[in-house]
Amino acid sequence: MSQPPKTAVKRRDFLKVLGSTGAAATAVGCSQERVEQLIPYLVSPDHTVPGVSTNYATVCRECAAACGVIAEVRDGRAIKLEGNPDHPVNHGALCAKGQSALQGLYNPDRYRGPMIRQGDALAPATWEAALTLVRQRLDEARAANGGGGVRFVSQHENGSFGAFVDQWMSAGGFGAHVAYDPEADLAARAANQAEYGTPWPALDFSAARLIVSIGADFLDGWGASVAHQLSFADARAKLGDAPRFVYVGARRSLTGLNADEWLACRPGSELAIANALLAAVGGAGGGTIAEAAAASGVSEASLQRLADELRAATPSLVLGGVKTPDAHLVAQAAARINRAAGNVGVTIKPDAGLAGIGGAVGAQAMAALATEMNADAVRVLFVRGANPVHSVPKAALFAEGMAKVPFKVSFSSYPDETSELCDVVLPDHHGLESWGDSEPVRGTLGLQQPVMDPVFNTRSTGDVLLDLARSNGAMASRMPWATYRDFIMSRYPTGRGAFTEALAKGLGQGSSLARTVATPTLASTATAIAGDGEFFLVVHPSPALGAGAGANKPWLQELPDPVSKIAWQSWVEIHPSTAARLGIAPGDHVTVTTAAGSVTAPAYLYLGIQPETVAVALGQGHAAYGRYAQGIGVNAVDALGAAYDGGGALALSQAKAQVAKAAGHSRLVTVEGSARQHGRGIARALTAAQLAAGETGEAHHEFIGDASHEFLPGLRAPVANDAQGDMGSQGSNDKGMYAPDHWSGMASRRWAMTIDLARCTGCSACVTACYAENNIPTVGARWQGRSLRPFHTADGAGWDTTPGANILKGREMAWLRIERYFEGGEDGASDFETRFLPMLCQHCGNAPCESVCPVFATYHAPDGLNVQVYNRCVGTRYCSNGCPYKVRYFNWHGYGEVDRRQYAFPEPLHLQLNPDVTVRGKGVMEKCSFCVQRIRDAENVAKLENREVQPDEFTTACAQACPSRAITFGDAANEAWSVARQVDDPRAYHVFEELNTFTAVVYLQKVNHPAGGTR
Amino acid sequence: MSRRRSWALASGFFAIAVAALGLSAYSGASSSQGFAPEQPVNFPHPRHVKQLGMNCLYCHYAANKSPDPGLPAVGTCMGCHSLVAGPRQPIEGVADRDTAAITQLYRYVATFDSSGRRGAIKPADQWSAIPWVRIHKVPEYVHFPHMRHVNAGVTCQTCHGPVPEMQRVYQYSSLNMGWCVNCHVQGYKLADGLLAAGDTAGARAAANVEPKKARYDCAVCHY
Repeated sequence: MSQPPKTAVKRRDFLKVLGSTGAAATAVGCSQERVEQLIPYLVSPDHTVPGVSTNYATVCRECAAACGVIAEVRDGRAIKLEGNPDHPVNHGALCAKGQSALQGLYNPDRYRGPMIRQGDALAPATWEAALTLVRQRLDEARAANGGGGVRFVSQHENGSFGAFVDQWMSAGGFGAHVAYDPEADLAARAANQAEYGTPWPALDFSAARLIVSIGADFLDGWGASVAHQLSFADARAKLGDAPRFVYVGARRSLTGLNADEWLACRPGSELAIANALLAAVGGAGGGTIAEAAAASGVSEASLQRLADELRAATPSLVLGGVKTPDAHLVAQAAARINRAAGNVGVTIKPDAGLAGIGGAVGAQAMAALATEMNADAVRVLFVRGANPVHSVPKAALFAEGMAKVPFKVSFSSYPDETSELCDVVLPDHHGLESWGDSEPVRGTLGLQQPVMDPVFNTRSTGDVLLDLARSNGAMASRMPWATYRDFIMSRYPTGRGAFTEALAKGLGQGSSLARTVATPTLASTATAIAGDGEFFLVVHPSPALGAGAGANKPWLQELPDPVSKIAWQSWVEIHPSTAARLGIAPGDHVTVTTAAGSVTAPAYLYLGIQPETVAVALGQGHAAYGRYAQGIGVNAVDALGAAYDGGGALALSQAKAQVAKAAGHSRLVTVEGSARQHGRGIARALTAAQLAAGETGEAHHEFIGDASHEFLPGLRAPVANDAQGDMGSQGSNDKGMYAPDHWSGMASRRWAMTIDLARCTGCSACVTACYAENNIPTVGARWQGRSLRPFHTADGAGWDTTPGANILKGREMAWLRIERYFEGGEDGASDFETRFLPMLCQHCGNAPCESVCPVFATYHAPDGLNVQVYNRCVGTRYCSNGCPYKVRYFNWHGYGEVDRRQYAFPEPLHLQLNPDVTVRGKGVMEKCSFCVQRIRDAENVAKLENREVQPDEFTTACAQACPSRAITFGDAANEAWSVARQVDDPRAYHVFEELNTFTAVVYLQKVNHPAGGTR
Repeated sequence: MSRRRSWALASGFFAIAVAALGLSAYSGASSSQGFAPEQPVNFPHPRHVKQLGMNCLYCHYAANKSPDPGLPAVGTCMGCHSLVAGPRQPIEGVADRDTAAITQLYRYVATFDSSGRRGAIKPADQWSAIPWVRIHKVPEYVHFPHMRHVNAGVTCQTCHGPVPEMQRVYQYSSLNMGWCVNCHVQGYKLADGLLAAGDTAGARAAANVEPKKARYDCAVCHY
């Protein structure tokens, strides 16, 4: 190796260096910010003010419950969804799926216009070309056999659309229209129809003294989750008088984790247990406890105790919602228990309940259609919204059938597995761009209106169908409306004027056009769980992703599963004792093989699964469906055969399986450090007996200083104490805004929050609401991972393309997370308790983060906020090290910067960004701000109206969304605010009180009802 | 000077230069004060505000009710300029129109033939938007609610300067944080504001009005 020639720095060179540096400095110092353009309206729209939001009431289309939503629209873009407070189903709350409808609207992978197949791929086309082609093929189909070979598959939706399509199909002389819903609990609906005379009665949890759920996951997907959760939380809020909740099932779902007691039974044995309970309450046709114990593996003593309890507790509420082939029989038995126990009309209200859900079919009908297609009986297939190729078992040969259909038209908005097989795509408007109606409860119409102009070159399917009908005389006469909106308006009972008036609230009187479909007769038999293998396979819908529809929305991918706390991944739940026996460690790949097929995913060791059972969630394993969904995890349907329950839905627990350790290991993309509290007293609970006895529950840390939840207008922060003279400079007259008598009045407020753990169910709606409100980036997509060892990655470019790579490094950005802790059950055999705790910045009065910041980027505001000033932050991360709650998140990669690979808001997702919140760049610390933008907005509005901010006038995004009403926000220094009363609750405590952090977030302890408790 | 020492000196100066560069970038001392870009339509504020007496809020219609001041829609311009158009016979006592600027406006709303002669005004849905060049901009981590200031009685000219006199609008104030905080802490003197707006009588009457202070906590503007 030769020596590099030695060079001397000459004065000249030195000046050159200095000169160029100076030039650079000048360039930075004087450079203009990027020149922006201001584009005005052509004509100002009425009733809009730039920079001020307009709210539109409409209908959520993310599930069949059709909750009412209020869309906040700023400068023509929907930026936030909140529940409609007047809506009879969700009363202002909104779940995580509903929140993320916005990411469906602005999904970067949406079809941007019509597509026509050119060879192997779909290519962009014009609407005229696409519609001409469809018209021509429809005419051909009509000429061939009178149109009998035309089929329409739609995603079932609450409202008139189904009947509208029926009418269109019959006007054209076409074949059947099937409204498919892969997530609907059709067995329960069929049983309810047979037993109660209505598909979905209203459930009043708070009227019950005992709740028994036999596999009914009423908090995560079974029926209208938000409505159930509101009622369930009200029931739990009765604290000592709350109903005890017993969950019977093979897997403890989110609903199961909220139960006081879990009876872990074998899948398929639920009917025996239901029958035993039926006999216990004196119903006809029951079974014995001994039979149930033998079938289920649950001890006779436990079942006997449950039976006794059920007999003693009136009224009770028994729900049957399993996903086995005999699901309809279980639901029927549950209904009969309710009848025998006198619950009907008390906790089960058949005269109320969900309407508009009729006419949905399950995978069985899709399989029947596949059979038709495979027999060459279908000439034209229309698909709208549904994705049967992903959700129907391979054994039904749906994709193969589609290949035999000469012409397939998709109305899908997204490039999903089904639409990718189609010949023409006529992309539909998103629900937030469309007209429509729904009938959430009988006699009430939910009105759906577009909240903004379409993002892309899409057209409403209703309008497209009307357009197609116009070219055919016979059809045109039966479909006389100019637009789908016209159709909806013409149906409104009190006329168009009244319709327009009702739109403001999004609710009206009337009913949607019902489909004429035969009520299925409830089969009295069912196939048994079959197959070889030592284990039962339980497949279940994911609380966030459902059966797969949510997988293309990064908020839902990034939302840790409420049960396993895993994101961006599939996993196999396996009991720790079973795993030990098979030599499986967490993250080891496990292959689950049934007669129908197999899936391989990393193992997650879970106490809440019956030891002879393994479970896999639906939702992942997409072969298409856009950048966020494709290639993540496995599709659990691959392990399922064509077995259906009595309602025609796919039986998700249908087979026995072999479980074997496979080659490979993947770290679980989990956000939890430990599932145990290790005595730290983070999530606390007390029993109903303790509450009645006036005890404060678990270890209560006494500390030197004031009472634990005393909120004086003055603050505890050193800076405030200083200003108020406790430790301050006696010589200073200026105490600044921290002085209680300062003219600004800032220090007279103390923004605070209470979180009632008795109400919280861990559903995580608040987490997604926080992402939506605060422009929080998602970090788990494949392209967002940066390898720590740049040249050791497969592509050599330093990119770690493992989904969730950033989360594996602890770099998730969730300002608000739900911590989930297990109590008890360490032996793996006994029952255990679960506690959920929403953890966010505690806005400590004496914050450990503030004192370590070298640049004063985090400090305590006079109104009690722990403020993070992004433009001051230089990214030392000292604050995060100082934070005992670990609620500060560092922006590692500039997720908010458009020119970075890790950019979290690819066009047009960025249109959702909240203009009131800074989009953070690389290298700054960020955290919960107590929605300071909402505080400022309330102050601004109050000032404009020349008044003070009224108590409970506004709340944070998390509290607003919460379907349990667990979160209360406000000014704890003013008794008129609810939060000020709640902090005095005897259950109140601070997390890590012993650290003298004087937090502004106060938790109210959970109340448990152990077996043999006070009731 | 030894070779080694010269190296040390060079790198020392280099370090100082880098530090200065970093500091100047970080301090936010840079400002676009004086920025006066050419606009797509040479809108003469003096003609409209000074001569015709139009109120600022006629066009910037949201300044008293929204964080955004609002820009006039093209329709607002055309409300008058569908009648007040192009070249005409001079009228005694009325100043001459800037027909070139009106023609610039018509480029967005009217048809022109190949010889450049203006034809009919197009229907509103066929107009094109005027791409105004933004002059006043605070960084995205600053939230500046216009309506709070306007409703507190701060005159537009206090921050935006003598716009009624500006043939081409330029950025009058620095918009740096020190400039903001100065007013929040010292208080806004109504008399000064009125004087800036040309209301000398009002300014005299307001001479003894207490300066109006505003909160200066970081999180009032930064969030």
